[in-house]
Amino acid sequence: MEHYDLAVVGAGPAGLSAAIEAAGAGMGVVVFDENAKPGGQLFKQIHKFFGSKEHKAKTRGFQIGRELLEEARAVGVKAELNSAVVAVYGNRELAVSQGEKIKRVKSDAIIIATGASENMTPFEGWTLPGVIGAGAAQTLMNLHGVMPGKRVLMLGSGNVGLVVSYQLLQAGCQVVAVADIARTIGGYGVHASKIARCGVPFYLSHTIIKAQGDGKVENVIIGETDAKRELIPGTERCFEADTVCVAVGLSPMSQLLGQAGCRMVNEPQKGGFVPKVNEYGETDIKGIYAAGDVSGIEEASAAMIEGRISGAAAANAAGFMPDGEFKARFEECETSLAQLRRGMFAPGRKGAEQSETDEGIPLSRALLSKGYIDENELSAFPGFRDCSALSETYPVIECTQNIPCNPCQDVCPKGCIHVGNDITALPVLNPKASCSACGMCVAACSGQAIFLVQPHYEPGYALVTIPYEFFPLPQKGDKGTALSRSGEALCPAQVVDVRDAKALDNTRLLSIKVPSSHLNRARFFVKGDFANG
Amino acid sequence: MDKVTDRSPVGGEFEPAPDDGLIICRCEEITKGEIRRAVYDGMYTLAEVRRYLRAGMGLCQGQTCRRLVMGIMAKQLNIPPDEQEPEVSRAPARPVEMRALANTTWEGVGGL
Ligand SMILES: Cc1cc2nc3c(=O)[nH]c(=O)nc-3n(C[C@H](O)[C@H](O)[C@H](O)COP(=O)(O)OP(=O)(O)OC[C@H]3O[C@@H](n4cnc5c(N)ncnc54)[C@H](O)[C@@H]3O)c2cc1C
Ligand code: SF4
Ligand code: SF4
Repeated sequence: MEHYDLAVVGAGPAGLSAAIEAAGAGMGVVVFDENAKPGGQLFKQIHKFFGSKEHKAKTRGFQIGRELLEEARAVGVKAELNSAVVAVYGNRELAVSQGEKIKRVKSDAIIIATGASENMTPFEGWTLPGVIGAGAAQTLMNLHGVMPGKRVLMLGSGNVGLVVSYQLLQAGCQVVAVADIARTIGGYGVHASKIARCGVPFYLSHTIIKAQGDGKVENVIIGETDAKRELIPGTERCFEADTVCVAVGLSPMSQLLGQAGCRMVNEPQKGGFVPKVNEYGETDIKGIYAAGDVSGIEEASAAMIEGRISGAAAANAAGFMPDGEFKARFEECETSLAQLRRGMFAPGRKGAEQSETDEGIPLSRALLSKGYIDENELSAFPGFRDCSALSETYPVIECTQNIPCNPCQDVCPKGCIHVGNDITALPVLNPKASCSACGMCVAACSGQAIFLVQPHYEPGYALVTIPYEFFPLPQKGDKGTALSRSGEALCPAQVVDVRDAKALDNTRLLSIKVPSSHLNRARFFVKGDFANG
Repeated sequence: MDKVTDRSPVGGEFEPAPDDGLIICRCEEITKGEIRRAVYDGMYTLAEVRRYLRAGMGLCQGQTCRRLVMGIMAKQLNIPPDEQEPEVSRAPARPVEMRALANTTWEGVGGL
């Protein structure tokens, strides 16, 4: 029987990080993954991540995946793909399904990093072709280059629902609505705003009644719900759509841990049944660890750190990493993890009603219920200053919730933006610094929440620079329409500059000329005449 | 409730509901009504419902429906969903071809 120092199940961000840490310490490591390619969820994630530099903020998920794979190769991690682990036993033996054989493997330590699966919600017509998980839609688009449909209704307004809606728009689909039974949007406000300004409407306190059609989804009916989540008769609304994307949460795929005999607990905050683990991710069976979404639904950034901790702990327990080194490594990882687990969306605060930011500023209610901040709410936030009297360009930072993120501060060469050591603090505009209009902050902002404004571009006209990630790319000179934060057509606009550079990492900067009166409203651009819609 | 012998019906007559025809376990085509009926008949844990109906015993091994089945059961039993017993996970965790099983030697294994 094959024998390893460490076997890792799952080659996602958690599993790969664990393997890198352990192999780097000298362990003989094998990683099994049932997919044909390693990387787990990361290769589907084409958007820029939050966090700080050490969490690889402003890097796109698939790029982080590539970096992890390279690191794994460099330290000699052995990855076996198309290899589903079908059994794990308490004596640390695994059964791995490979082709027409089942291979039995013995390992001194095991790290389970199998991630999560998508939740479903049953409704009339949910078995019709066209009803799919949002993660599945993401796999189709971003791994296989296939459009899941043409007109999509997104069920669920958490980060998965918001991010996948944006990616559907990028792929050229129309998102007819985002519906959620909750009263407020579940994901980051900045993610919601990205799709709201493209014109996607939010229907909060709404549930899906049915999807119907002849052998496939042709239309979808949703309706409003009351405080008890019961349907209010007469509020039904029908959308023509060929696809319903379900994004109603994830469940840890923790079955292998249950099989091995680890103590399991049902923790709704973590997404369901998870193993009881200590601070190193070790279960009550010595030598069996859990890391990443399988031990509680979080994000890839947290999964990578959890993986590092479990990998280092396994190496330490087996004598590959001295105590002192392990202690230092653990503390470093813990600090980094603690930074991510703060703010408005911290694991402990999820689902709780919140009314103000850590700074004591009332949260934008419009942002929570409609997906965009009202113009007159903006002045309460430290990223906004009314500089319309200024002649030079300045940034407007529409980031108004405490999220663990600070690339805006990092990239600004002029010190215009300050977040501070606590990366969940709101970005503050420094009134003393002067902006060079380089646009780095606009492109680096993972939430696409920064715009540059030049109030007096031409007599009567202002220039607004927006982040832009769609094809076909507008060209210099193109005439079109400026859209507001809600996606409403505002005024005629003309593209006067399109900037692209390696450092912008595929977020183009579109500078549009709009009548001065719209400088605080114009936040998106579409080609086509203003008057003709 | 926690005693195996305590199997008194959850109360009164079984009441059909308009959405009883909704398929919950797609792999085995088990409906909401069948699950509610199973609870009414005295199946109080997921393991029992699985054996009784085969819900969650199909290709995906309950990956999609486990949560839904447990939710329906909790409602029928009138208990909070997180007070339910966890499922029993058994190997194989993924569908395996019979010939793959036959191609493997199993000495010293606790059971697959
Ligand atoms: C749409 C979407 C957007 C997201 N956006 C972000 C974001 O912006 N930032 C962020 O930080 N996070 C984001 N996340 C969350 C992030 O993707 C996950 O938290 C992260 O991938 C968890 O990593 P993991 O290693 O635990 O699991 P996964 O990435 O799911 O990897 C698990 C791996 O295990 C394999 N596996 C499972 N079972 C077995 C088995 N029995 N045998 C062999 N292999 C097995 C799977 O094939 C998979 O490759 C997003 C998630 C989604 C769905
Ligand atoms: S445009 Fe450049 S100088 Fe101005 S705030 Fe952004 S990063 Fe700083
Ligand atoms: S403004 Fe700064 S903190 Fe806010 S999302 Fe953008 S980069 Fe992150």
